[in-house]
Amino acid sequence: MKMIRAIVRPEMSDNVTEGLADAGFYSMTKMPVFGRGKQKGLTVGNTHYDELPKMLIIIVVEDKSVDEVLKIIQYKAYTGSEGDGKIFISPVDSVLTVRTGSKEI
Amino acid sequence: MKEIIAFIRTSKMNATKKILDELNISSVTAMPVFGRGKQRGLNPVLAGIELSNDAIVRGNITGMKFVPKRMLVIVAKDEEVDIIVEALVKTNKTGFIGDGKIFICPTDNAMRVRTKESGDAAL
Repeated sequence: MKMIRAIVRPEMSDNVTEGLADAGFYSMTKMPVFGRGKQKGLTVGNTHYDELPKMLIIIVVEDKSVDEVLKIIQYKAYTGSEGDGKIFISPVDSVLTVRTGSKEI
Repeated sequence: MKEIIAFIRTSKMNATKKILDELNISSVTAMPVFGRGKQRGLNPVLAGIELSNDAIVRGNITGMKFVPKRMLVIVAKDEEVDIIVEALVKTNKTGFIGDGKIFICPTDNAMRVRTKESGDAAL
């Protein structure tokens, strides 16, 4: 199992979640975050924005679905300019559903 | 060392903090998040809410796409993981949809900024 953490533009987050739901990945968590990347924020005129608002989408999937999810997020969050976001993939040892105690996602 | 990421009901937060205190595990990070699971959010039909004819005619039966939840992040020693998970399940189990999920992820290392301790000593 892998945990995929995608940091995307807030205005594209609905696009991403709808796209994932269409492909059958309904279960996810999202939260608003603030961050910056290689470009050290954003400068508009004289104003420098150190941290930019982004949406963090967390989704845990089976190993075989990772590539598909990545492809969907990449396609749906893409605008082509700086600030489209990043995706991180990390391992998950085990899962537990509180209500049923099932060990599956 | 393992990272326990638990998604629980916001209303169970106090009970969860209390039981973790009793177990002497006081280090918790909590974040308000929005999420959904297999049931695709809050579905009024599944939740057993009666809909008025008016709402059905207008198509206002979408419910909530994302439900507010609390995300807990606990980094714990390997031998404490089972105890914590058991405590979380015990407090958060109501038997209704939306009780949440618990993920256990491997963690390589931890470091306490103040003393530069690392490994289990930093927890």
